[in-house]
Amino acid sequence: MNKALHFKDKPRTPFKIVGKGVPVKDAREKVCGTLKYGVDASAHGMAYGKILRSTKPHARIKRIDASKALELGGVLAVITHEDCPQLNWENAWFNYRGKIMDGIARFVGDEIGAVAAMSEEIAQQAIEMIEVEYEPLPTVFDPEEAMKPDAPQLREEGNVREPYIVEWGDTAAGEAESDFIVECDIKFDSQQYAPLGRNACVAEWSDDRVTVWTASQTPSELRDAIHEALGIPQSKVRVCAMPSGSSFGSWWANSFMVVTAMLARKAGRAVKIELTNWECMATVKRRHNEITRGRMGVRKDGTLTLAQFDHIIDNGAYGFKDDVGFFCVDLWGRAMHGHYAVHGVNTNTLTAGCMRGVGDVTLGAAVERLADMCAEKVDMDPLDFRLKNQIRSGELLRMQHAKRYMHGNLEEYLKGIPEESRKMWPRLFHLSSGSTEQILTDGGKAFRWKERWKGWRNPGTIDGPKRRAVGVGTGAHVCGVEFEGSTSAVVRINPDGSAKVHCSVGRQGQGSETTQSQVAAEVLGIPFDRIEIETGDTDSCPWSHGSLASNTMYRVGFATWAAAIDARQQLLAMAAREFFDGDPDELDIDDGIIRYAGRPDSNVRVTIEEAMNHFRGHDTLGQTSSITGRNSIPMPPATTFARHFAAHFVELEVDTETGEIRLLDWLACQDSGTVMNPQVLKNQMIGGAICGAGFALYEGLMFAEDGSIRNAALLDYKLLRAADFPLNGEVVYGDSYDPVGPFGARGAGEAPIAAAGPAICQAVYNAIGVWVDMPMTPERVLRALGRI
Amino acid sequence: MIELRVNGKKYEVEARPHDRLSTVLRDRLFLHGVRVSCTEGECGSCTILLDSVPVTSCMVLAMQAEGRDIVTIEGLGTPDNVHPIQQAYIEEQGFQCGFCTPGFIMATKAFLDRNPSPTEEEAALAISGNICRCGAYPYIVRSVMKAAEKLRQQKASAAD
Repeated sequence: MNKALHFKDKPRTPFKIVGKGVPVKDAREKVCGTLKYGVDASAHGMAYGKILRSTKPHARIKRIDASKALELGGVLAVITHEDCPQLNWENAWFNYRGKIMDGIARFVGDEIGAVAAMSEEIAQQAIEMIEVEYEPLPTVFDPEEAMKPDAPQLREEGNVREPYIVEWGDTAAGEAESDFIVECDIKFDSQQYAPLGRNACVAEWSDDRVTVWTASQTPSELRDAIHEALGIPQSKVRVCAMPSGSSFGSWWANSFMVVTAMLARKAGRAVKIELTNWECMATVKRRHNEITRGRMGVRKDGTLTLAQFDHIIDNGAYGFKDDVGFFCVDLWGRAMHGHYAVHGVNTNTLTAGCMRGVGDVTLGAAVERLADMCAEKVDMDPLDFRLKNQIRSGELLRMQHAKRYMHGNLEEYLKGIPEESRKMWPRLFHLSSGSTEQILTDGGKAFRWKERWKGWRNPGTIDGPKRRAVGVGTGAHVCGVEFEGSTSAVVRINPDGSAKVHCSVGRQGQGSETTQSQVAAEVLGIPFDRIEIETGDTDSCPWSHGSLASNTMYRVGFATWAAAIDARQQLLAMAAREFFDGDPDELDIDDGIIRYAGRPDSNVRVTIEEAMNHFRGHDTLGQTSSITGRNSIPMPPATTFARHFAAHFVELEVDTETGEIRLLDWLACQDSGTVMNPQVLKNQMIGGAICGAGFALYEGLMFAEDGSIRNAALLDYKLLRAADFPLNGEVVYGDSYDPVGPFGARGAGEAPIAAAGPAICQAVYNAIGVWVDMPMTPERVLRALGRI
Repeated sequence: MIELRVNGKKYEVEARPHDRLSTVLRDRLFLHGVRVSCTEGECGSCTILLDSVPVTSCMVLAMQAEGRDIVTIEGLGTPDNVHPIQQAYIEEQGFQCGFCTPGFIMATKAFLDRNPSPTEEEAALAISGNICRCGAYPYIVRSVMKAAEKLRQQKASAAD
């Protein structure tokens, strides 16, 4: 067997390109402004679309009259619910379930019609000329109200999802075994993706086939969505996903993209719908409003005895989630007895969906707060308390319910896996590698935690009204999930000796095009700059889960790695036969040159380009003109063993007179296994910290009485600026090696945002002695202090 | 019709009285490096130089820019021949998605023209009119500092 297939162990020889901080592939295009994003999409002769949006939070469309709009010069087509196929479609991870325009508006901003015209201005004018008569329906905005049996129901399935429960041990016993019990009742604000970069969609039909250009993290899932919503075969949909601006889960398959496809069909020509910033913030998606009620128990020796949480997530109008990716359950899984219940519910507000670190940013923050309260009760340092109570590599995971969402039955799936592959898998439902142990220890040293930590509610320094203190927070998240499909990739070796990777992960700025290329380059022995990659075109990329759930490096990376191995084996088998007198396993490829691996005496060498040209056959009958590798090694179910971890340290200052919080020092630490590209990873870590700090300090949507959003504009929704965050940008990496991920790497993007908020909350508590709910605006700090 | 001078070239373009400069630059001159996000002067993505002063071009009417010197990111460097500031951003990876990057680079240009040897704190304040939602700020500040160094070296070697 090829040595590369022994993927359990860290190789003794250093990697060629894995671990190198090469600039991302599109760096030049980004700094020169030449990269084309979704908003830059265009098609020759295209029309411009605008969407008519409901002004009512819940209403039946009694009458909709577009006759005046259609008379306006330059108007090409109008669609309303009467033109729509009335088919349910579902976004990845239940971020949407419903129909496009079914004659009922379920939130202010919901789509009820659309116009295509010769210009955007004409389209907007036409929208204003459409007469709509609404029949108001009863409304519900508060998730707890929406859970009551007599609440107005938004959808045929009802408002409330079946609770998603994870439990182990016996909570009553846990309570009895506890020396102290602590409790919390927290209502989280809803964070907005605030996707700088907005988005647009261009759709064009050719006969019965539609091509869609838009920014999306999930090209394959978007193709599925259009197929479902329009009732046309998957083969009749081509998605060309373009790079997005900061997305964080915002741009997957979004309803406005489906509307564009429908409008283009009616208009009989290409149509572009470009969303305004208000539409991006008020009509697409947001993080859930969440409510956590929890209890935790602890023994005097610091052992966690009980973790008991009830968590409500408000899905808004079209979200359909009942679980959140709550991997804080596994992180704190050493608790002896546990019960976590998550309740998904719908309200007449903007749809909620998965935003970066979903569940772990909210429920995780509640768990961290209660764990801190436990640590204070037994007077333990929060860092030591985490070392004592957090999961380590090899231990049992509590999220056993992965089975519930597996298509088919997990046992059945396992039966279909060849024994040879199965033997190489880690133990399912146990953590395969990594933990917070090393990053807490190394990070603590780098931050000088032991020196700077002065005990609970003990600020390091007090200067008049200003109090400084430190805090540490931890977070975990998954490394991709398989509940909604597998991953595939294709790696092709071209006649010129270059290679092309085809994997459908989209591009949202996190560098996936670069890290996937590094994986392929390492396997193939082809120089990094001779690897090209396509991540958005569903006509050339096989189906794959996109960049979501920290899937990219781990599961898509596995597919890319496996496909590259297949291509390499094909290449070496032919090269061995044609050029070398030996076994393909004796050959190696380095810098694009094939040679014997362990025979310094042999100077037989052939470049991939020479070999490929030989196989292609100039003056003889050729065997092939290119080599296509596919991923034929089954991917083990990642949810059942892989997590990534973050630990963040902060020093901050609270002004008890103004309520202002200033971040003074920050250290981000992360265990994502092998660091594929330190430049990429550190940006994920610090970027996650800044987005998490935004959630902790400033960000929260404000809802009006009709459920509409009052601050859907960057003027009114405050984000951190450069001067608001410590400038040092230092990071610490763990050095665990994963037995499954490509070259030992795991997921990366979501644990950091989960760790940031808890670190800030704890430091604020140490500074002023009270827990403040996020976002900790000056007003909330002063209220918590009893000053206003 | 108005006449605009953009990146050293003259253009005759159609512009109505209410057209924003950003719209004209993007939709009529196809300078897509002018990124538009908030359209209310808050995010800084559409920052350009107007007579060497950084402005958010979504807040300037096209007609107000007539006869003035406009520089966009396209006027700074090209992928084949990047400007030292752009090179510094690449080396320090002062971005993730890159959407806000042209705006940050134009703000950096104006700042370093004014203050060639800044402190980190001055640099952070100077780019605080721009939002990077990906949160690359510490590395953007490093990029500004490295750009300053590159430009000082370039000036010194030109003087030799």
